[in-house]
Amino acid sequence: MKALRTFRFWGLAPAWLLMGLTLIIPIGIVAGVSLGDRGPYGGFDWALNFTSYREILFTMGWTDELEFDPKYLMIIGRTLAYGLATTAICMALSVPVAYVIANAREGWKPVLVYLVTLPFWVSMIVRVYAWLIILGNEGLAEKTWKFFGGGDVDTFLFTPGAMLVGMVYSYIPLMVLPVYAAIEKLDPALLEASHDLYGNRWTTLRRVILPLTWPGLSAGAILVFVPAIGTVLEPMLLGGGKQMMMGTLIQTQFGGGRNWPFGAAVAMVLMALVVIVLILNARRAAGAAKEAAA
Amino acid sequence: MKKTLLTGTALVCLAAPAFADELNIYYWSDSIAPELIEKFEAETGATVNLDGFNSNEDALTKLQAGASGYDLVTPSQHFVKIMIDEGLLEDIGAADLDAYGAVDERWKGQWWDPENAYSIPMAYGTAGFAVNRDLYDGPVDSWAAYFEPTEALQGKIASLSYPDEVVGAAQLYLGVPFCSEDKSEMKKVYDLLMAQKPHVAAYSSDNIENRLGSGEVAAHFWWDGNVLRTRNGGANVEFAMPQEGLVGWLDSYVVPKGAANVELAKQFIEFMSTEENATIQYNYYAHSAPVKIDEAAAKYTPENAPELFPTVPVEFSKACSPAAQDLVTKVWTDLLQ
Repeated sequence: MKALRTFRFWGLAPAWLLMGLTLIIPIGIVAGVSLGDRGPYGGFDWALNFTSYREILFTMGWTDELEFDPKYLMIIGRTLAYGLATTAICMALSVPVAYVIANAREGWKPVLVYLVTLPFWVSMIVRVYAWLIILGNEGLAEKTWKFFGGGDVDTFLFTPGAMLVGMVYSYIPLMVLPVYAAIEKLDPALLEASHDLYGNRWTTLRRVILPLTWPGLSAGAILVFVPAIGTVLEPMLLGGGKQMMMGTLIQTQFGGGRNWPFGAAVAMVLMALVVIVLILNARRAAGAAKEAAA
Repeated sequence: MKKTLLTGTALVCLAAPAFADELNIYYWSDSIAPELIEKFEAETGATVNLDGFNSNEDALTKLQAGASGYDLVTPSQHFVKIMIDEGLLEDIGAADLDAYGAVDERWKGQWWDPENAYSIPMAYGTAGFAVNRDLYDGPVDSWAAYFEPTEALQGKIASLSYPDEVVGAAQLYLGVPFCSEDKSEMKKVYDLLMAQKPHVAAYSSDNIENRLGSGEVAAHFWWDGNVLRTRNGGANVEFAMPQEGLVGWLDSYVVPKGAANVELAKQFIEFMSTEENATIQYNYYAHSAPVKIDEAAAKYTPENAPELFPTVPVEFSKACSPAAQDLVTKVWTDLLQ
């Protein structure tokens, strides 16, 4: 028994070490920086200083007075809104895609799944640049729009829509794969049973397919939402950098803003938001499991 | 089936050879003639690795984060000053290098490196704005055309993603001194940029050449030599000479503290500063050369390259005090919030 315990300790030690070195210590450093004093030209000094967190709500105004300033709250709100919109659109698009893959002929399935993962092999920057060309002047989007009789457009680029297109495109594979796995496991007999009990197509989708694939959908939602709220490239390149998101705000603070502690504080807030979402999801999953057991 | 496909793709992605004698350069993207890199590699047997930046702020942040792994960096004058003050640079005894002898007198003993210990100038020029003449035929003799655009340019303007030179240009236009610590003056700068914002299509320092050359936008904040190169590439662009002046810059070679290959970096600086190579570099980079070049072989003259020979005052960016820098940052974050 004791041998087993020793083995368990040493067996798990590498995993703990890895977690500590690559996850816990870096987060500790970021937390430390967020409490530091800012250096005059960037950088920081260790300290215990909560100014950076206060700065999220209160900043020095043009009149030399500390005033409540909602600008950072607006950036946080905007980031969450874009993250939710991306997640919702990915969800709506990935269910039919996953359904088609799951119902494809056996030989085709691996090929289709491979095609979904294919973009991951190409650098994200290159893929986002591709959208610059598609959405740009005289690009594919404009030509298609005009071909179908659309009127004159100034540009599709540098708009919130362009940013959203880029974000959905970047993260949708992360949604398709878990949804596919869930639909794949769906027993066709249950669909037949639903139809036998006079459920029409809509009822079958709502009462049978969606509840049974919900674990896949919620896993996909997490996988999409979390990177989406940390996004930097799409707002900069496709959105034209006109509206800050949390990712770009953090980048600015470490770069041109030369205020590392504030950048770290925003990063901590971003991380806190992610953790809250994960906890909510875990609690709901636990609740659902209990309900299923009862 | 799946397995073969996946392994196939993985193999294509694998490519990372390693060499012993390496020079890691962190420079303004595409700012060194590729033929000179090849020549240097052939002469010394060393491997040169290039990594590009699009703003001085990026370069400063990388060095501050420590252990950047670079042996040579090419920041502008005000950032050279900050890097020296922050103890981020190696004293390479620049005044003792042969390259120093080639440097034009006007660039020696300047405020950013008074002892000439850390830096050797690489190129200099101006920041202003350019217009695409296929899309805009109005006047460009004032910053007003850019900051307070008429209808022809509204919605067709692009700015940079960093405040550095953009705020400087706005200050020139308003007659506010660089690095002002006066809040009311900086509020005027903010108001000007805020009024311009609805007409700005994008704030981006990447890919400027395509954005302006292809006509995605009709006016762009830009640098003299880049406009020249794009114009010579066939695009109908013009670099404006605003009467209020242009923002000046001078990039220098510096070596980060603790660089692995200081000697090789110095060797590269010497190599780039010989008359022959400096001329090749000038012809390629199309920004003015602060070192001696072979005038007979130089490609650009006031006639064919008016961009490089400004007819309006040039004011060089300064290293601001923390208080002044905070105001610049405030202008920018309030603008893009």
